Amino acid sequence: MKKNGKNSFNTPEGYFDNFNDRLMDRIKKEDMGEVTSLIPKTDGFVVPDSYFDEVTPTVLSKTVAKETKVVPLKPHRNFYYGVAAVAAIFILIFNMTWNSTPEPITFDNLANAEIESYLENTDFEMTSYEIAEVVSLEEVELNDILNDDLEDDIIMEYLDENVGDIEDLNLDDTYYE
Amino acid sequence: MIAEETLVQELKLEESRARAFEVLVNTYKERLYWHIRRIVLNHDDTDDVLQNTFIKIYRNIEKFKGDSKLYSWMYRIATNESLTFLKQKSRKMGVSNQELKDRMVENLEADVYFDGDEIQLKLQKALAMLPDKQKLVFTMKYFQEMKYHDISEALDTSEGALKTSYHLAVKKIEAYLKEN
Repeated sequence: MKKNGKNSFNTPEGYFDNFNDRLMDRIKKEDMGEVTSLIPKTDGFVVPDSYFDEVTPTVLSKTVAKETKVVPLKPHRNFYYGVAAVAAIFILIFNMTWNSTPEPITFDNLANAEIESYLENTDFEMTSYEIAEVVSLEEVELNDILNDDLEDDIIMEYLDENVGDIEDLNLDDTYYE
Repeated sequence: MIAEETLVQELKLEESRARAFEVLVNTYKERLYWHIRRIVLNHDDTDDVLQNTFIKIYRNIEKFKGDSKLYSWMYRIATNESLTFLKQKSRKMGVSNQELKDRMVENLEADVYFDGDEIQLKLQKALAMLPDKQKLVFTMKYFQEMKYHDISEALDTSEGALKTSYHLAVKKIEAYLKEN
């Protein structure tokens, strides 16, 4: 045993002679993962048969195959669309300019259906009396207002059924044919 | 085997990309599979993560600047994808990250694709208790036999810190196996 001069601790014979070799050997083993036999060398995982053969086409179908470019059948189609769009705009502007001074719209241009629709749907805020004051009865025949011409027979039948006394009609001042 | 630089150049060119990517998948699929498998443990989950990893690689290959080795870059993507997958899984299950890891190890006993014996199962239990970084360094060094330099690039950590992590991991695993 080798004794230290200043204290009573001892070291085994030749300890320091091969210390460097042992240290380097341990560092090398640790670096290589050969640390201890307690830790198993394999971890027990397995893969299904042929998994590694099948995974490549699966991955490629999700990457390369998806990005394959579709070659257009008519490569200049977008150009044609552009030209057509510009032409359409020019034609539209030309027509708008050409038709900018149309003939003024007169009452005769209106269809009867349009006038009727206007009268039915517009609120004039006038009572029937107010309308009667405006419209001259002398110029308007009854049959001008009604849709159908009234036959005399129909009028007589109506009066016969609905008027009790002919005197009630007060026809003295009225010329009745 | 095709040189890495040539492969990278071909991957960046549109006309050669498809063929080069097939070469890349065939070259690295097994290494990346085992790297992912040792993180997520289950085969089906590994398959999902591996495919996602390759899809990410394909979409981002133009951003690869070549500052690190191609496979270190791919390992980094695979590691991130695996850890993100575990985080999402624990969130979906409503459990903590550690609880998920414990359950994953428990499930190994019934896993048809785990052929491990008692000591290998104990090793997985010991690994589940380690912090992520220590576990990653240990599996990459011990099982995948990667060099510290390459692990350093993949995990973006200094070699000194990796050595410390590795030695700590070994001590903890040994202690667990001795006690159990």
